[in-house]
Amino acid sequence: MTDSIQRRSGPLFAAPALLGLVVFVAVPFALAVVLAFTNLRLGSPLPTEFVGAEQFRRIFAEPAFVRALLNNTLFALVVVPLQTLLALALALLLHQRLKGRAFFRTLFFAPVVFPLSLVAVVWVLIYAPGPEGMMNGFLRAVTFGAWIPRDFLRDPVLALPAIMLTSIWQGAGFQMVILLAGLQGIPGELYEAAAMDGAGRWGQFQHVTLPQLRNTLSFTVLVTSILAFRLFDQVQIMTRGGPRNATTTVMFEAVQASFGRQQVAKGAAMTVVLFLVVLAITGVQRWVARQGREVG
Amino acid sequence: MLSNYVLALLLAFVLLGCEQQQPPGAVPHLSVWAHAGQAAERKVLEKQVQRFNVQQDDLRLDLTFIPERTYNAQVQAAAIAGDLPDLLELDGPYIANYAWQGHLVTLDDLLSRAIRADLLPSIVAQGTYRDRLYGVGAFDSGLALYARRDVLDQAEIRIPQHPRGAWTRDEFDALLLSLRDSDEDGAVLDLKLNYPDEWFSYAFSPLIQSAGGDLVRRDDYQSAQGALNSRGAVLAMTALQGWMQQGLVDPNLDDAAFVSGRVALSWAGHWDYPRYKDALGDALALVPLPDFGKGTRTGQGSWVWSITRKCSDPEGAVRFVEFLLQPAEILAITETNGAVPATRSAIALSPAYREGGPLHLFVTQLAEGYAVPRPQTPAYPVISSAFRRAFADIRSGAPVRQVLDDAVVLIDQDIRDNQGYAPVEDP
Repeated sequence: MTDSIQRRSGPLFAAPALLGLVVFVAVPFALAVVLAFTNLRLGSPLPTEFVGAEQFRRIFAEPAFVRALLNNTLFALVVVPLQTLLALALALLLHQRLKGRAFFRTLFFAPVVFPLSLVAVVWVLIYAPGPEGMMNGFLRAVTFGAWIPRDFLRDPVLALPAIMLTSIWQGAGFQMVILLAGLQGIPGELYEAAAMDGAGRWGQFQHVTLPQLRNTLSFTVLVTSILAFRLFDQVQIMTRGGPRNATTTVMFEAVQASFGRQQVAKGAAMTVVLFLVVLAITGVQRWVARQGREVG
Repeated sequence: MLSNYVLALLLAFVLLGCEQQQPPGAVPHLSVWAHAGQAAERKVLEKQVQRFNVQQDDLRLDLTFIPERTYNAQVQAAAIAGDLPDLLELDGPYIANYAWQGHLVTLDDLLSRAIRADLLPSIVAQGTYRDRLYGVGAFDSGLALYARRDVLDQAEIRIPQHPRGAWTRDEFDALLLSLRDSDEDGAVLDLKLNYPDEWFSYAFSPLIQSAGGDLVRRDDYQSAQGALNSRGAVLAMTALQGWMQQGLVDPNLDDAAFVSGRVALSWAGHWDYPRYKDALGDALALVPLPDFGKGTRTGQGSWVWSITRKCSDPEGAVRFVEFLLQPAEILAITETNGAVPATRSAIALSPAYREGGPLHLFVTQLAEGYAVPRPQTPAYPVISSAFRRAFADIRSGAPVRQVLDDAVVLIDQDIRDNQGYAPVEDP
């Protein structure tokens, strides 16, 4: 009796969330897949036709889109490890009983609360070209005047690193908070036991902290990788994909195609590719995590 | 971004609310959408709608403002959803696209002949698509070089008064270099590189046209081949790239390059006049853009009024447009936003723009054929997007010819994809 009620109430409780998933995630994604095989244009009075894989052929023939995929990959490869390391360092630092710990935690978390668009605008000013620019001024000061002022956001080599730095500054606080929570969840006895066994600080970190943080770390790495592939706001505001596609991203290209040029089908094809990439990354990371767990 | 959604939601509630309030058998209401410009400009338009509503006993207008930065995206979304208002403000170069999509009615048989004859030719040109008029504005825009008279005098540079006497390309190159010699940071020209998106097509396609090129071939609008990658276009864009790479152009992140005295020349629109005049007083001179061979060319086009196909009372709607085009109403708005009045009779009454006024150059440019409308084709959003990207690449030093060739490919493919943007029969 109670069994059957429970069996029925389970799906019932899940229903609202499932409905939301279907309406807001599954249906739009299915639509994007379908649209990617058409020639739909925003607002066009011409009939929409199925064109097969034409949109996919076109986007992969477009230097801007290929560059966007590369940029996203490069961005993820640089930002994910750096940001995670920085966040871990901050979390370890702020996990100790420091004076003003709450203040520093708030300080490092603050950039996460700022809207990304605001952060981007502020960093545009920081990267201002010419000797008056803050970053140029700073680099000049630390190199004792040897630094020649550069226009960071219009420099084909420096533009993407500039956006990476902004993103790390903005995103590290979020990971830090999650890692802090992970650190607080590690029982103190483990450290005591490790100390008894003669482990130094490095040994404790290596054999207690890291293994205990495994799940938290793999979560933050996964989330950061996905966010890295969705990079958009900073690009839109700071560089508009330039110079010469040096900072363009898949999301930026998709928005440009769909709303700038009204080529919705092409934008849809780009988002489908993006989805497949993110799916693949998630799969690989899950696989790696599982391997690690089996070994450990 | 989020605030836009919230705004749109609020807007939807407001609109729903309005519709419900209307009792049956009452005076017919027409909905009007306008872009939310400066606060003062919004207030003037609100007052104009009020004045119009008081004058009419068989018609009432409901005015809604939509944020300027996302205006076109929101209107386009409404068009797809079939929710356009009766009367709509549009940015001039987008008229062709909306007309092709079948959302607009032509004003040819609606607008009174007397008013039409009074309009500046540039207003009619920008509002026309396939020989039919789809939109008219109460004001137009202008583009010119603002100059510091004292600095030019000191360098013994002549100051052209009329578009006929515009600086030639060689003269302009030489004067930039001679100005640089007495400039602190070497940057003597402001191109408003801090402006967003549409500025680049608006401000720099005239230079291409002055050199004999264009954004697209205007005979049939079927290709940009031989226009955007023509010798003229390459010449103009190479010159721009040269100025930027020689450090002659101020990046102008603070939009104060000219008023703070960092540069002697500012390539800018009519809207900067009040600010510049305040800062420089009598030292401010207004000069046409340089002539790259075919005579000086300048930008034009601004917000226009269009009547949508779903409008229940086009005659009533056009009454409002005609109301806005009365000299007194034109002046009410142009004295607030500083734009060029759309009719000759309003210009004659404007202290700034009439013959002998400090801004008369803008009228001369618009009335005597120096202004070129942005291409009146549904492909314009793609053309503008492609050109903007090309400009950014050229600014960062990419080979001009190749960048322009790439832009041509992008534009031509879009035109082909849309079957040449041939007129579509009514659905």
